[in-house]
Amino acid sequence: MKKIVLTSMLCAGFAYGDIAQLLEADKRTFDSSKYIPDISLIADFSYVNRSINDDELSHLGLPGIAHGLYAEHAHGGSNEATYNANQGFNFNYAELILSSSVDPFFSMDATFHFSEHGVEVEEAYFTTTALGNGLRLRGGKLLSNFGYMNAQHHHYWDFGDMPLVYESFLGTHGINELGAQLQWTAPTPFYLMAGFEVLQGDNEQMFGNGSVNIEEFTGVEEDSIEGTDAPSLYVGYIKSSFDFGDTTVLGGLSYAQGDSMIDHSDDHEEPHVFKGDAKLYGADFVALHAIDSYRSVKWQTEWLSRELDGTQYNLYDAFTSPDINKKQSGLYSQLVYTHDKNWKMGVRYDTIYQNDVMLNGLDTNKPDDLNKYSAMIEYHTSEFARFRLQYNRNEAMYNEDGLRQNIDTISLQANIAIGAHAAHSF
Amino acid sequence: MRHTLSNMKKIFALLTLLPLSLLANLNIAVSYPYIGALTKTIGGEDVKVTVLAKGKWDPHFIIPRPSLISKMRNADAMIMNGGQLEIGWLPPIINRAGNPKTMPNTKTFLNLSHHVKLINKPKSVDRKHGDIHPDGNPHFHISPKNILILAKTIEEFLSKIDMKNREIYKKNYNDFSKVWHQKMAFWKKKMKEKKGLKVIQFHDNLAYFNKEYGLVNIGTIEPLPGIPPSSKHTIATIELIKKEKPCCILHDVYHSTKTADFISQKTGIKVILMPHDIEALENIDNLSALFDYLTSAIK
Repeated sequence: MKKIVLTSMLCAGFAYGDIAQLLEADKRTFDSSKYIPDISLIADFSYVNRSINDDELSHLGLPGIAHGLYAEHAHGGSNEATYNANQGFNFNYAELILSSSVDPFFSMDATFHFSEHGVEVEEAYFTTTALGNGLRLRGGKLLSNFGYMNAQHHHYWDFGDMPLVYESFLGTHGINELGAQLQWTAPTPFYLMAGFEVLQGDNEQMFGNGSVNIEEFTGVEEDSIEGTDAPSLYVGYIKSSFDFGDTTVLGGLSYAQGDSMIDHSDDHEEPHVFKGDAKLYGADFVALHAIDSYRSVKWQTEWLSRELDGTQYNLYDAFTSPDINKKQSGLYSQLVYTHDKNWKMGVRYDTIYQNDVMLNGLDTNKPDDLNKYSAMIEYHTSEFARFRLQYNRNEAMYNEDGLRQNIDTISLQANIAIGAHAAHSF
Repeated sequence: MRHTLSNMKKIFALLTLLPLSLLANLNIAVSYPYIGALTKTIGGEDVKVTVLAKGKWDPHFIIPRPSLISKMRNADAMIMNGGQLEIGWLPPIINRAGNPKTMPNTKTFLNLSHHVKLINKPKSVDRKHGDIHPDGNPHFHISPKNILILAKTIEEFLSKIDMKNREIYKKNYNDFSKVWHQKMAFWKKKMKEKKGLKVIQFHDNLAYFNKEYGLVNIGTIEPLPGIPPSSKHTIATIELIKKEKPCCILHDVYHSTKTADFISQKTGIKVILMPHDIEALENIDNLSALFDYLTSAIK
């Protein structure tokens, strides 16, 4: 008896200290540590040197397409920043990724995007694993599979910034929505996949359905621009791929359609709100040639075209509300050469070549030669750490006086990963 | 509504089943060519094998081409090497394919590494030590003894998922085992005089081969697993070679031999290409050819 008391006292003492020393993890009766999901943390830092200062940058925009795109800006009460927002050092994010199977029928993944401004749930979704017949259902907050790049996280991109056409049409997060996704892989000998998504439809650059309160402008109590019912965004796509020896090509066509509510009522000058319908067309093409196990050449290009049709509510002066019709198209094309496990380099061309903005049926003559040129070189110390030097020449931005402001940017980026991170798809 | 739904279901089932029914009894996806060869040998006519990776590629770094998703989607079972060799490319393919038959830890999924004894299991797991495999060296198939164990494992697996043909699988295994035993004796005789020879490698691919035939690996050209050669480590390797006098550098086919050639030039020892799988070199189109080559390469 005495012995038992002594032992249990001793045990209690140890438990207070370090229980792991007492019993190995797999011998503890109710131990569940084996079920810990895969956890990884990816941090991204950059040093930026830009030809114009941060304040000027925040006032630049692409006429008729987007403004207030770059640099830090307050939006709807939260402070947001694009990647590489400031001159000098930037802490772009620390991304915490958790993933595990749930049971025999589901898996779950979540990505938490930590920045100095707080935490955002970038993705949190469950995916079926047992439907069979090539079917896969996903629900939660997710990155849409529209196009090629939209579903990829920043740390997987070949350049430190988003292509111009993506960023200006859809914002830094792309189509990142709450909703459901159904994909079907066809039983063909070559890759053929079709997908359909029903999404909430809340994107600050293009889609939206929430009402906007304009009481402070009109003085009429509870005055608002009425929103529509959610979900209000539908996305469909089809993708196919073929191999020719050591070359793989992947092509896709995508379409998104939804209600649009673009809220610029917070703007200091000329506050306005756009309400209407939005359509987005996409075509993507990727060709990868593997020279050997480590050397490869990858050509990646995506074309996006959008149409916005509706009414712009100008909340200043005479409170006009003209009909607006926008047809805007652009593309990016990039070529990346991977030399070995250490070195990678690439160039990218960005353009928006169509910018037809009709105001009450009249052409507003917006510029349609918005270009950006980028080049980068990367050094990887291992699969888990990479350092990228990138140069951008942006010839797409205009200031508030309607003058083009060319921007040269040099950035040095460090992207570091620890923990168990799942491999990426093609 | 219900009517249309059931009709759609029927069409759907038809669409899905049609291409499969035209093929052999079982369509088995395997990660590497050597698994394909073994599965075909044991499975015979009743089994169609779809190999995902090419033998000339570094098995750690396979490009997850979308065509592999379709191959996985259409498979009835999956056999992988395991030991984390496929960790960099196979999981996204399995996930995208969404095929319940090829999901890990199901009856129709076989992880070969669970059926052989892995050696060189690291005592501590830290990426400071490079890209190590926490379960031990996963290149266990480059050993005739292990090939026999793997063949038996595959025979048991096929018999379990396709009971009605188990006699055929058993016979195929027995035939294979008989021939393989003769070959093993022949290779053993050939390698007898090589026992105790010291060797250098690029990456410790041949750990099991070396163990089986008594070769002693004294160093690798890469400073740590998965970390490319550095000048500092290369100089140290040259010093090591001068001191220990190994016979040769046994080199895989997918890394550049640049550093090995430099070391060879400085020390006078030979660089010998050692294929790791079927198709790794042009004439190696089956498992016996692989070991015929490996056991003849060191002269």
